[in-house]
Amino acid sequence: MLRIAFDIGGTFTDCVLHDGDSGRVRALKISSTPGDPAEGVLAGLAALFSENAIDAAEVTAILHATTVATNAVIERKGAATALLTTKGFRDILIIGRQKRYETYDLYADKPTPLINRGNIFEVAERTGADGAVLEALDMASVDAAIDAVLAAGAESVAVALLHAYANPGHEGAIAARFRDRAPDLPVSLSSDISPKYREYERTNTTVVNAYLRPVVERYLGHLQTALKERGFKRELSVMQSNGGMVSPALARRYPVRILESGPAAGVLMASQIGQALGADHVITFDMGGTTAKLGAVDGGTPAVAPVFEVDHVRYRKGSGLPVSVPAIELLEIGAGGGSIAAVEMGMIGVGPESAGAEPGPICYGQGGDRPTVTDANLVLGYIDPDYFNGGALPLDGDGAAAGIAERIGRPLDLSAGEAAWGVHLVATSNMEHAMRLVSVERGRDPRRYALVAFGGAGPLHAARLARSIGVPRVIVPAAAGVGSAVGLLRAEPRIDVGATRVLGLDDGAAPTIAEVYDGLWQRAEAELAQIGDAAGVRWSRYAQMRYAGQGFEVHVDLPDGPVDGAFPALAAAAFHDAYERQHRYRDDRAAVEGVDWTLVASLPNPQADHWLFGAGEVARRGRRSAWFPERDGYVEVPVRNRAALAADGGGVGPLIVEDPDCTAIVLPGDRAAIDGAGHLIIDIGQGDD
Amino acid sequence: MTRDEIDPITLTVIWKGLLSIAEELGVTLRHTAFSEGVREGDDFSTAVFDAQGRMIAQGPFSPGHLGSFPYVVQAALDYFPAESLSPGDDILLNDSQLGSGHFPDTFQILPVFLAERLIGFVCNSAHQADMGGAAPGSQKVHGVTEAFQEGLRILPIRFVRGGEVDEDILRLVLGNVRLPDKVRGDLMAQHSANRAAAVRLEQLFRDHGVDTVEAAYEIILDRSEASMREALAKVPAGTYGFEDYMDDYGPDTEPIRMAVDVTFDGEGGVIVDFSRSSDQVPAAINSYLNYTRAYSVFAIKVFCDALWPQNAGNMRPIKVVAREGSFFNPRFPAPSGGRAVLQVRMFDAINGALAKAMPERAMGAFSHWSNPNIGGVDDRTGQPFIMYDAIMAGYGGRASGDGPEALCPVMNCSNIPVEVHETHNPVLIQRLELIPDTGGAGRYRGGCGLRKDVELRTESATLSLLGDRHDFYPYGLFGGAPGAPAETVLNPGRNARALPSKGLVPIARGDVVSLRLSGAGGYGPPGEREAEAIRADLRDGYISAEAARRDYGFDD
Repeated sequence: MLRIAFDIGGTFTDCVLHDGDSGRVRALKISSTPGDPAEGVLAGLAALFSENAIDAAEVTAILHATTVATNAVIERKGAATALLTTKGFRDILIIGRQKRYETYDLYADKPTPLINRGNIFEVAERTGADGAVLEALDMASVDAAIDAVLAAGAESVAVALLHAYANPGHEGAIAARFRDRAPDLPVSLSSDISPKYREYERTNTTVVNAYLRPVVERYLGHLQTALKERGFKRELSVMQSNGGMVSPALARRYPVRILESGPAAGVLMASQIGQALGADHVITFDMGGTTAKLGAVDGGTPAVAPVFEVDHVRYRKGSGLPVSVPAIELLEIGAGGGSIAAVEMGMIGVGPESAGAEPGPICYGQGGDRPTVTDANLVLGYIDPDYFNGGALPLDGDGAAAGIAERIGRPLDLSAGEAAWGVHLVATSNMEHAMRLVSVERGRDPRRYALVAFGGAGPLHAARLARSIGVPRVIVPAAAGVGSAVGLLRAEPRIDVGATRVLGLDDGAAPTIAEVYDGLWQRAEAELAQIGDAAGVRWSRYAQMRYAGQGFEVHVDLPDGPVDGAFPALAAAAFHDAYERQHRYRDDRAAVEGVDWTLVASLPNPQADHWLFGAGEVARRGRRSAWFPERDGYVEVPVRNRAALAADGGGVGPLIVEDPDCTAIVLPGDRAAIDGAGHLIIDIGQGDD
Repeated sequence: MTRDEIDPITLTVIWKGLLSIAEELGVTLRHTAFSEGVREGDDFSTAVFDAQGRMIAQGPFSPGHLGSFPYVVQAALDYFPAESLSPGDDILLNDSQLGSGHFPDTFQILPVFLAERLIGFVCNSAHQADMGGAAPGSQKVHGVTEAFQEGLRILPIRFVRGGEVDEDILRLVLGNVRLPDKVRGDLMAQHSANRAAAVRLEQLFRDHGVDTVEAAYEIILDRSEASMREALAKVPAGTYGFEDYMDDYGPDTEPIRMAVDVTFDGEGGVIVDFSRSSDQVPAAINSYLNYTRAYSVFAIKVFCDALWPQNAGNMRPIKVVAREGSFFNPRFPAPSGGRAVLQVRMFDAINGALAKAMPERAMGAFSHWSNPNIGGVDDRTGQPFIMYDAIMAGYGGRASGDGPEALCPVMNCSNIPVEVHETHNPVLIQRLELIPDTGGAGRYRGGCGLRKDVELRTESATLSLLGDRHDFYPYGLFGGAPGAPAETVLNPGRNARALPSKGLVPIARGDVVSLRLSGAGGYGPPGEREAEAIRADLRDGYISAEAARRDYGFDD
């Protein structure tokens, strides 16, 4: 059984090949080809196949994550899109939620909507909050709107009417009219894309979907054809933001669901490796060039959020476009290897501004002259200038030291080493605040969690982060540099379908809840039919609930079993517990209501459990000088690759564990070991120091 | 540990830690609150104080409460000197003079201890859905002549002692408000958010040591002060004045003069003086000095030093004064429930003055916002309801471009979704849309006004109006045209009747109130507007062909 996975990112495309029989994993990192992303993929696969003497026809699964959708939104390169709204509400998308993301900055602008006001048209109709039709749909106004859409030359249409989550009838009738009059025009309905209340969020989500449909259609169509031409027999699977795989047919219809495709795969990888190593509770930490992304896995299940934002400004909450579909919960902050360090207010500030790939950190020698986190890590001796990315890019250590001394050390009266340490610590402290939000502030006790660190820079900061927040174990997976692609190999097909029904959880609520779930079950069945073989499907349910009268909801996993008379009380009890975990407060006297109800269908992944990373690596051992404040500055420390550390039976910090795609720092007093599959495990405070 | 011994790295970690405590306190409050004002409107604030009651860090929330916070905590400490406080206490107050200018804003101030030693305070304020008084929402303007008619007044009291909420006090409060469940939920949310923040503040002190953190406080305050002084010293010395008017303070009343003189001494000090404004008025719209301070500090900060975190240090060089007995410094018991309507106008006034000193930072006047309440009994459920709303439209044109459409002005609230209003209140919103041709013409156009039509779907209710700019238009700058005026209309299209900008109106089933906000002011002469921008406005329907001809002489 041979499976391949590829994750197309902005800079690199990662390809991974897994042989289920031998367990062998081969990885390849190549430059992305933004003009035609498929080109890079095909080149990578060709190289991987010739290197391993494999034929495309032998491949049993092709798994894919992509940033093509996200990039189209960020660069505003989606389709020419029109929007239809209820008469009197043309401006919902333009108005938004109106809050500034910086209280004291009156000069900042709102996010640019994906559609100009001129391409928003109204239809006469009205549905009430209870789903009752208050004004019938006026078909003459629909025809006039369709005329306007066609005249505007739109390639895609979104329809978002008030309260359509409660009654999709009018949206359905409009879609039918479009099918008659313009059968080739893709139409996205808010009642289908995101049937939840709060009209701006639902409308924007629908618009994002419409905006992406032609783009993702073209992209996946091209890729499918190219793969077929290369002799692949199997259909592609695409990763969604919720951590589940779907067929290209569903991804083309719901492209809004694949926005966070790559990051979701990374969390999945962390979750699976955690489980394999006996850690069901995991905090995931993916630190790359521009950002760090933090997620959580509870009891083996990645946390899912009902809404996220795309196209942030400076990673400020509220600065982006809200997308209201379930996605693996990730907190992203502007702290990556390329984050720029500067002195401000007599303090060291790091990020969110990034030197990016061009010009990059000073040490890349490509003209960057502002110190970054990577420059600091180099000055501290954490990175080997001659072995960065396996030696592919020699780094300029002197340049980095001079830049840090000049721009950080001099104004603060610190040596280059002290200044570099300050940059490293402040970057770590920024991530610590973010990690606190993900853990303690959400009711997760760090002492019960393991930290799974990956991405180019994650393992350099992970141990210190774990110490500061009280996490006892750090896991640095094998193939940490291509973590998302490895995650794809472990993903299951999964569909989340949800609906809003604001409902008090009293004893009489059971029939209504059952009715909601019947409707969701039918929708899920219809989607499963498009995935193919739905044998062995597993069902689960969750809801967003709150105390009656509140405006924000808490995620509650609902009990399995029938929705009978006892169900509302069981659901309410689950809510009280979830609420108390998160907010350290409960009120058993207060009434509870459910808002959004979700049904999850997942299919087992026919994957082998047999994994063997990095087989055949030669042991490397060395020493270099690196900064450890526990040793009052620079000190000679051992450097080992994983093969050497495995052969040595582990080691105690201070220690650097270095492989071509990843360097990890082990602090004094911590113990490091390599497990059978090649994962690095660091136990905090467990070494004899 | 003295301040000289704190390295910049430790200072960074402490300062960022404090800011994150204040911010997280607010996130918790938002997610656990019940009143629409807090949960959807972000009408709340948070801060961390030192043991002497000096403000060290604030969360990025409503600036109205933020600017008054330092004075609120000082007032609470006058009633409860440090030695009288114990672990497990939480102090509650809502007085308009000691607090942030009206009764609905309740403050909770929780002393934090480490090993029996007072190390500081964590605080938050939240806008309650109701505090009793003459009308639902406790913001009735016209016909209210003294604070005692506005609801329950709470001078600083120990609301929680030994970690236990005082049930007697709670009963007293809840017995005087219209929505006791919501108010109870919010008072408890405020308290539990404070408790969570206290745990983090204790941890910060444990991690770094009391001496180090307290020495860091001195550095934070001094540097913040120095930064603000440096920014203020760059403004050319002189006094810059501006005058504008509020329409009235209720039906058939006189306009209110809002006059400000801002004096920069050229050496890093500034005085904002509202003394030339009208006398206090016998209606609930007066601005107590704490409130005047809050928005004056906000405006100065926006112009001079926008992104530096606010604390007691950078407020030191800013002096805010107003003649006692004047509209901006009334004597108790002046009523003040509807003072929220003023925040935009205080900024507009100071902006008008500072345009003369810093034209590149100034902007045309905002569209004036509207803050109506509809209250009564929902006859589907038999339960009382209050539909609290905040309707906001465009910004004035700026030196760098057009004013954004429909963005919250000064106070920084979110709007409340139509679908949320309709799910919880017996109303049907008939439209919510921009009004073309209302933004002031200019090289850079002001944002459009916004229209919201609300139909009542229960037997009867009381509509409490709180808007302005019906008579005095939002000004333009440097040749930019003013925005179009606001209107409020009952039952448009049927027996249409013009309503005043403020006042109580009884309404019945089927009545429609149409709130039409003013447009915002333009910036620079309309003749200098680029043809491409005019074409885009025409294409997107922000202006009509007639207006393009009339305002810009544009005929494509």
